[in-house]
Amino acid sequence: MIGKIAPIALVVGMLAAPVWAHDEGPLLQAPPPEPYVKVSDVLPLPEFIPGLGTLYVDPATLPAGPFLSYDHEGKLSATVYMTPIEDLENGVSFDDLGVGSHTVTSVDIYYNAGHPGVESPHAHVVLHHDEDAKARLAE
Amino acid sequence: MSPTRRTVLGLGSGAVAAALLSGWPARAQETVTIAMKGSPRGESAWFEPNAIAVPVGARVRFVNEDAGNSHTATAYHPDVFGRARRIPSAAVPWDSGFLLPGESFEVVLSAPGVYDYYCIPHEMHGMVGRIVVGAPGDPGWEGEQAAKGDLPVAAQAGLVPVDEIVAAGPEANR
Ligand SMILES: [Cu+2]
Repeated sequence: MIGKIAPIALVVGMLAAPVWAHDEGPLLQAPPPEPYVKVSDVLPLPEFIPGLGTLYVDPATLPAGPFLSYDHEGKLSATVYMTPIEDLENGVSFDDLGVGSHTVTSVDIYYNAGHPGVESPHAHVVLHHDEDAKARLAE
Repeated sequence: MSPTRRTVLGLGSGAVAAALLSGWPARAQETVTIAMKGSPRGESAWFEPNAIAVPVGARVRFVNEDAGNSHTATAYHPDVFGRARRIPSAAVPWDSGFLLPGESFEVVLSAPGVYDYYCIPHEMHGMVGRIVVGAPGDPGWEGEQAAKGDLPVAAQAGLVPVDEIVAAGPEANR
């Protein structure tokens, strides 16, 4: 039985990965295509969040994301993940998450006390996609 | 975006009598502001002040001064998300709903006693507040509701003891 399940999981993983590997073009400029939705359209949050920019997410991937973060010009600047601390403590892992762009220049990880959408305390993992991204998302 | 969203008149039964005895409505003109704050990246969130004493009939205004997050001011009450009551029985429960940066919400507190409230997305983090309306001995006064043990640890720890708030006096910022 186990011998049958494992290869299926493997195949699913292989199918999922290439989507991200070859399909990042449409994500580089806002708005990204469906199933992404603008976070501020569906949750009571500012359209531009200082430090995180304008966020889009596929609701099916909540809470972890990826959240795609765009600057004021609509340029993809970061990919953000949100992982509840309690989930991590309970052994939940968040694996094989997508990335908005394969170019990553720096990563910030910090605690967040919660906000609409991900209301339990969680970690923000922010992958910046260019050297200047952090400054453009600041405010 | 409208700067003021909603106003709730929290007039409970017996409130008028209590108000007359304590000098209201003259005092009802008083407006106390409680700010909703957060650190720039959301590591922390709090009400400022998180504990305050006000006269009976005071108007309390909650303002979201956090540029990067939404907050609520929500009374602990069975009628609001089924929580155990932590405001006087004569008080009308309130919920601001999510306030975006710059938005505000007002409530008038006319029943003397202790009011505990929280922020929906930050209760687990300990974003709670306590308002003491009037003082022990006021007609109809209801002190702190017996702990029901239903609060997150950080929220329980965030509630300032009533006697400390009373001792500090009306509107002493904490
Ligand atoms: Cu809050």
